[in-house]
Amino acid sequence: MFVLLNRILDWFKSLFWKEEMELTLVGLQCSGKTTFVNVIASGQFSQDMIPTVGFNMRKITKGNVTIKVWDIGGQPRFRSMWERYCRGVNAIVYMVDAADTDKLEASRNELHALIEKPQLIGIPILVLGNKRDLPNALDEKELIDRIVKWCI
Amino acid sequence: MAFKRDKKEEEEGTGNPFQNLDKTAVLQEARTFNDTPVNPKKCTHILTKILYLINQGEQLGTQEATDAFFAMTKLFQSKDVILRRMVYLGIKELSNIAEDVIIVTSSLTKDMTGKEDLYRAAAIRALCSITDTTMIQAIERYMKQAIVDRNSAVSSAAVVSIFHMTKHSPDLVKRWVNEVQEALNSENVMVQYHALGLLYHIRKSDQLAVTKLVAKLTKFTMKSPYATCMLIRIVCKLIEDQNAASGDTNWSNSPLFDYLETCLRHKSETVVYEAAHAIVNLRRTSARELAPAVSVLQLFCSSPKPVLRFAAVRTLNKVAITHPSAVTACNLDLENMISDSNRSIATLAITTLLKTGSESSVDRLMKQIATFVSEISDEFKIVVVEAIRALCLKFPRKHAVLMNFLSAMLRDEGGLEYKASIADTIITIIEENPEAKETGLAHLCEFIEDCEHTSLAVRILHLLGKEGPRAKQPSKYIRFIYNRVILENATVRAAAVTAMAQFGALCPQLLDNVQVLLARCQMDGDDEVRDRATYYHSILASQNKQLIQDYIIEPLMVSIPSLERALHAYNLHPSPTPFDMSSIPLSTITTSDPTEMADRLRTPSGGVASEPTAQATARVESYYEKLSAALPEIANLPGTLFKSAAPVMLTESETEYVVRCIKHSFQSHLILQLEVSNTLSDQLLENVTVQLEIPEGYELIKETPIPRLAYNETQSVYIILQYPPSLADSVTSVGAVLKFSVKDCDPTTGQPDSDEGYDDEYMLEDLEISLSDQMAKVNKPNFLALWEEAETDESMNEMEDTFCLSKMESIQEAVASIVNFLGMQPAERSDKIVAGKSSHTLYLAGVFRGGIDVLVRSKLAVSADTGVTMQLTVRSTSEDVCELITSTIG
Repeated sequence: MFVLLNRILDWFKSLFWKEEMELTLVGLQCSGKTTFVNVIASGQFSQDMIPTVGFNMRKITKGNVTIKVWDIGGQPRFRSMWERYCRGVNAIVYMVDAADTDKLEASRNELHALIEKPQLIGIPILVLGNKRDLPNALDEKELIDRIVKWCI
Repeated sequence: MAFKRDKKEEEEGTGNPFQNLDKTAVLQEARTFNDTPVNPKKCTHILTKILYLINQGEQLGTQEATDAFFAMTKLFQSKDVILRRMVYLGIKELSNIAEDVIIVTSSLTKDMTGKEDLYRAAAIRALCSITDTTMIQAIERYMKQAIVDRNSAVSSAAVVSIFHMTKHSPDLVKRWVNEVQEALNSENVMVQYHALGLLYHIRKSDQLAVTKLVAKLTKFTMKSPYATCMLIRIVCKLIEDQNAASGDTNWSNSPLFDYLETCLRHKSETVVYEAAHAIVNLRRTSARELAPAVSVLQLFCSSPKPVLRFAAVRTLNKVAITHPSAVTACNLDLENMISDSNRSIATLAITTLLKTGSESSVDRLMKQIATFVSEISDEFKIVVVEAIRALCLKFPRKHAVLMNFLSAMLRDEGGLEYKASIADTIITIIEENPEAKETGLAHLCEFIEDCEHTSLAVRILHLLGKEGPRAKQPSKYIRFIYNRVILENATVRAAAVTAMAQFGALCPQLLDNVQVLLARCQMDGDDEVRDRATYYHSILASQNKQLIQDYIIEPLMVSIPSLERALHAYNLHPSPTPFDMSSIPLSTITTSDPTEMADRLRTPSGGVASEPTAQATARVESYYEKLSAALPEIANLPGTLFKSAAPVMLTESETEYVVRCIKHSFQSHLILQLEVSNTLSDQLLENVTVQLEIPEGYELIKETPIPRLAYNETQSVYIILQYPPSLADSVTSVGAVLKFSVKDCDPTTGQPDSDEGYDDEYMLEDLEISLSDQMAKVNKPNFLALWEEAETDESMNEMEDTFCLSKMESIQEAVASIVNFLGMQPAERSDKIVAGKSSHTLYLAGVFRGGIDVLVRSKLAVSADTGVTMQLTVRSTSEDVCELITSTIG
């Protein structure tokens, strides 16, 4: 009952006020997470980036939608902390480097492990294949085959 | 304590809003951090509570802290300045408890390089607290920029944070020296000060670098007075180090000292004071060098600022101990300060005057102190007491005035420390000045009539037991002591019983009365008191002089922990032979001997000089633990650890390999513990041994090498030797060579370059095995009686010889060297010499290894042409020991 009321309230709110969303962006290192956030936030693309040590928090406003993005570092030492930032968000974005076939298996395992966390049940997850423009990059179908299907 | 405080706060009514915080409730609240949108006010309040709890000493578990920490990281989305700065504080507090704190690295680096100045300095501090050695490279670039940042707060924060980081990664930090050097030229006073502090900290182990730094900086005046003060301290350290290294006393013309003198004319008062303070505290300053510093302090004495007056008089007070004549110039100013409205200043002024003043001014000054002594705090009262103690030793004739004053102070209210210092002073006076003995004891008797400190009452009762029987009229003390039995708690009663027994043992005319009193004490309600009373009563009733001597007059001399250990071992493995008391090592004598008391007077800050003896006792115990851990064989050696000598250096302290030797004597064995340190960063030593030229008669039982000794490590080689059967061979000197195999290695990692090593050796200084290594000190309070007894005793051997100690110039010198050479305890206070007398008799008591009692009488006479002549008489149960002592002295 309470949940229903809340939903109606939220719907009313969204009519009058801006909509807010919270996203967590994870994925292996060097898959282009921070670059991605920079591009959608300010349109800037920079070639040389340093690895994210920890996390970056960005607020992005487009029209009447505000998105809070938690961009978490992908180095092995941070992977155990992904879950903490994924709890309670509206969606998880999982970034995969489609051109780096060597790391696909590791990426699949991390995704698998993340989905299995009981705390994160019911949160929608979007798997993004990045770096499609590079030669030898996998296309959607192959990516789905190699990454997603295995999990399900 | 906590209860008391709570009660006080309730009375005040206002109370602390955070007083009854519960950790779990607060951590529960911290979950609000995860909510969106963030409520900055509420979150700031919760963070404050967490910080309050941590600062009150509340322990957070790793899991709790980690949860709170990660919840806190969510607050980075808020733009509220106050909340963000609270988050920085939270990060710093939780950084050493929570796990994975590096997660905020990226956010903090963004803040420290961002536009918001309010964030930058605090972000740097937080960043450095979460960064460990492995992560330092990730932030290196940002730190280098921050050090030279135009904003002084940022620059200062960076420098100070780096200072803290030198603790865990000293080598990495050294790479930023160039930036720090640049910060040293900053216009800002604080940045300059912090930069100098850091630069010195990085270089302080390298004296050459420090010398260069100082030479550069002393040439021009730094803008920051704080940095100048820091420089003065560095200069002082340098002067002391150079003195110690060269032994050169003529340094007053050095440029470093000139710099200190120029600082006396600096425009900042802080710098002037620092320079004066520094000059005054330099060791071996002569009056001429002190003069300018003292005159600056004199000027400060008439300053309108109380802080300056206080600083000046406090420093003068210290100088007065070492150079009273230098301070006499300020006497007039000091006199004026006696009436200063600030009591602390007045007290220091008066005590300084007491130290510099003449005998005639004592009475007047004491009267003046008396007018305000009740108004000052205990801490300053102790200063006054120390001054009086010094005065008593300086002017023994004034003891009556001073003693009266002290007893008046004893009657006043005061804490234990204060009362103890007064009692100490009176005890010293009694010991130093026989004339003051009777009055002093009387004052102490009066004091214990109304003494609330058990420990102090016990000490005084012990003293009465020791000194009372030898007084003119011992009977009058009995009343005071017995009053304690009636009125006090069990601990004091037990001490009183022991004190009474001393009277019974030493004063035959009082024996019957004491026995009556002791009989009454056997009815006491406390076990200990009853036990003691019964024990003493039956021993005294036996009328056996030997028993009385051994069990009442002479207390148990053995080291209690060793006795406990030996008894425990005996109980575990009972043997048909009875327990042998003589196998227990004797305890190091902890009673403060007079020279030490005099030392304490020179360092009136207190307690410093008396520590070594306490440590010495602890040392024997801990050595035994360490030895038995390293050498299980020692359990099979006859007897236990008898004596551990003070460490001796077998190399210079600044050489490539440093070797220190500690000799441990057992009943018939000698264990050499050779502590080897490797100071070469590019060498790894393996299979380190010390090869001895085993002297005649000695037998090598076992040797344990060090398998592996890396840079900066200290480990021990143990060698067990058996003493020679003939005692005469036991005193000798042994040649020693350090042998090892070297592997060159990389200084940074410590990994050897190759598996190939080469053998090398290093000459050590000869190791002396002396008489004192085999002798332990014992306290014989009743030496003369024992000496007389030994003359008639059949089992005692006596040997006598006459020596000419031509190298000695005074009796004082001879006594010190004899005591040191024999390693025995002076008895009957015979190591104190009345100045100007041409003859003296020294009594010494000791125990030779194996539990052989040794008594020595040494009659000394001095004459101008032949130096000191000594007639030495040794009495011991063993003829060999007598012979050994007389033969080695020559």
